[in-house]
Amino acid sequence: MIERLGLHVLPHATSTELHWVLLVLGLPLLMGVLGALTRPVRSWPVILVCLLPLVALALLSRQVLDEGAQAWLIALGPLELHWRANALTLLLLLLTQLLTLTSAAYAPAYLSVEIGARVGQAWLWPLQGALASSLSLIWLAGDLLTLYIGLELMGLAAVGLMLLPGRVEALAAGMRYLLLALVGSLAFLLGVALLLGAWQRLDLAGLALAAEPGPLLWVAVALLSAGLLLKAAIFPLHAWLAPVHGAAWTPVSALHAALVVKGSFFIALQLILVLVPGASVAGWLLGAMGSAAVVWGGLLAWRAAKLKDVVAWSTVSQLGYLMLGLALMVGTSPSVSAAAWEGTWLQLAAHSLAKAGMFFATGNLVFSTRQSSVRGLAGVSRGMPLSLLSFGIASISLIGLPPSGGFTAKWLLLQAALEGGYWLWLTALAMGTLLGAAYVFRILRYSFVEGGELGEFRRVPWSMEILALMLALASLLLGLVAEWPLSLLRVAGGAP
Amino acid sequence: MPLFLEVLSALAMTVLAALTLLDRHMVRACAWFVFFALSVALTWWLSGFIWLALLELLLGAALTSLFLFHSLGMRRGEITPRGRLTRWRDPVPLTWRRGLLRLMPALLVMAMLGMALAAHPNESGTEPLRLGGLGLVGLGLWAFALHRHLLRRLLAFNVIGTGIFLMLMSLVRDTTPAAGHGLVITGLVIALLGTALGSLLIRRINGLEAFSAAAFHPPGRGAE
Repeated sequence: MIERLGLHVLPHATSTELHWVLLVLGLPLLMGVLGALTRPVRSWPVILVCLLPLVALALLSRQVLDEGAQAWLIALGPLELHWRANALTLLLLLLTQLLTLTSAAYAPAYLSVEIGARVGQAWLWPLQGALASSLSLIWLAGDLLTLYIGLELMGLAAVGLMLLPGRVEALAAGMRYLLLALVGSLAFLLGVALLLGAWQRLDLAGLALAAEPGPLLWVAVALLSAGLLLKAAIFPLHAWLAPVHGAAWTPVSALHAALVVKGSFFIALQLILVLVPGASVAGWLLGAMGSAAVVWGGLLAWRAAKLKDVVAWSTVSQLGYLMLGLALMVGTSPSVSAAAWEGTWLQLAAHSLAKAGMFFATGNLVFSTRQSSVRGLAGVSRGMPLSLLSFGIASISLIGLPPSGGFTAKWLLLQAALEGGYWLWLTALAMGTLLGAAYVFRILRYSFVEGGELGEFRRVPWSMEILALMLALASLLLGLVAEWPLSLLRVAGGAP
Repeated sequence: MPLFLEVLSALAMTVLAALTLLDRHMVRACAWFVFFALSVALTWWLSGFIWLALLELLLGAALTSLFLFHSLGMRRGEITPRGRLTRWRDPVPLTWRRGLLRLMPALLVMAMLGMALAAHPNESGTEPLRLGGLGLVGLGLWAFALHRHLLRRLLAFNVIGTGIFLMLMSLVRDTTPAAGHGLVITGLVIALLGTALGSLLIRRINGLEAFSAAAFHPPGRGAE
């Protein structure tokens, strides 16, 4: 696992050739400040400018793919920070930058037609930039201090983005989110304190070697995971998710569901695999939480009255699959964990793309019909065919039908569960698929209702429709080209 | 630092934290928080962490308290509530049953932490600073679970954070102080940012609620 996570290169870290990685980290923030100063009103300048961090990422990728996984040591006085990049890091960085780019490209039209000229608008840009930078820091981090800094910055930027609408319900939801994020980070810090006190180190590679099983390690891991899973909205700590999304702006919701909850999940996964790789009790616990999340999230999405709530609860269900993948990696045989490893990352990428596309499509539908309830969708099949199509394509991946990325991911997880003989997790996967189909077809049924008084549809700017469609198509096509990211991951597993 | 001084400072911090968290008059609670932060700064100073003492003085005692008082809508020289909806008293009554019920999660976490510290490989966990930190964490957790008032929850968050910092530094004092400093300084900055954001939010939510209440019951009813 240490090799797969790319942590084995940390002892050979250098403090040179930092330029590309610093550019990848710093450019999004810079673009954000630029956005606040210029306040773009069209999408294409945003896209052009957002290509710059992608170029930096391409150059970093060349460095990593040519010379193998890279590690850097940043010395701040007596304090040492460890960063590393392998193929997994590159894929996560690519996902982050692509989703930030689409969200930023969606924003100008959205702000001008739906929000209008409001004071808080300009804050969207720097906060999005800070979010992308802090997420990149989380993907790159190889020690607990960097992870802590990245986690906190991400949390505060996310809270700030949630507050932008400025209405009472958004502020109340944001306040609840802030308190919960703060509590989560306190639990994280307490766990880190115990680990540092016991083994005198913060770098993950060193901790993996030094940590000895015992009450201290278990309590520390329990605190760390509790804090992180609370922030990642993993069942049973998920109740805050839907109210937060209900009040937030569409591009913010998309970024949050696609990336922010994944950031916390990624840290939890990394720490569990590093600190307690063989604890089968932890595996069963994680699997039980994941299965419950899949089923309960699906049920909530099926029963939800508001369109945005359906999408938010489906996130809870989809995060359950990630937990099942993690459960199949803890204390299982190498072949099971290899399949689960690939399935988890593919599921993460497919869900991020599909969920962001789905939030865009949902935002378009809500904007066009002026109604937030599922019932208000009547007739959109005629009035808003393109957004409904995007919604449908994104849901193919969420349900897990071929040829989508979600299907391939679930197939790999299914394979892992079958091979290890985890029948309980298999049942959860099957039920999740059925429930996914149920909540998606409920929405489609309402949208094909004809007759009666059909309301006026507001016209949605084409850039908003196109971006939703592109993200949905990307999640679908990911299933067809899945071999490309998977082969990259495999190379990263073996190469030094 | 001599043992009795350490015991004394740990006791002072715990008592001041209890006063901060349990005083029902919010302005007074915030004033107690200033004294609590000062006692924490003094403890850092006595333990030899000069930088942490200065930062606690600046970030904790000065800036955090400013934001807390701001969230109450206070102006200079005022000690009585102003405006209809400024709640300077916590309206939720406190009963024994509720208090004991909410004590359970805090006790659970304390027991877990105690177990972990007892299994600590390097030394015994009887250092006063560590016990003081543990006490602050327990107290803060209890208050966080007990209170509904948002400002009191922010205060509880600050107290828990301080308890964690104290425990952390007492654990790494002799081995890796640099890493400990890094974590605590990050934590202090984040706590300040979180408190600032929370205070501004509380003020804004109160303002918006007062506004919508005024819209429902227009004040010009005396003419009827």
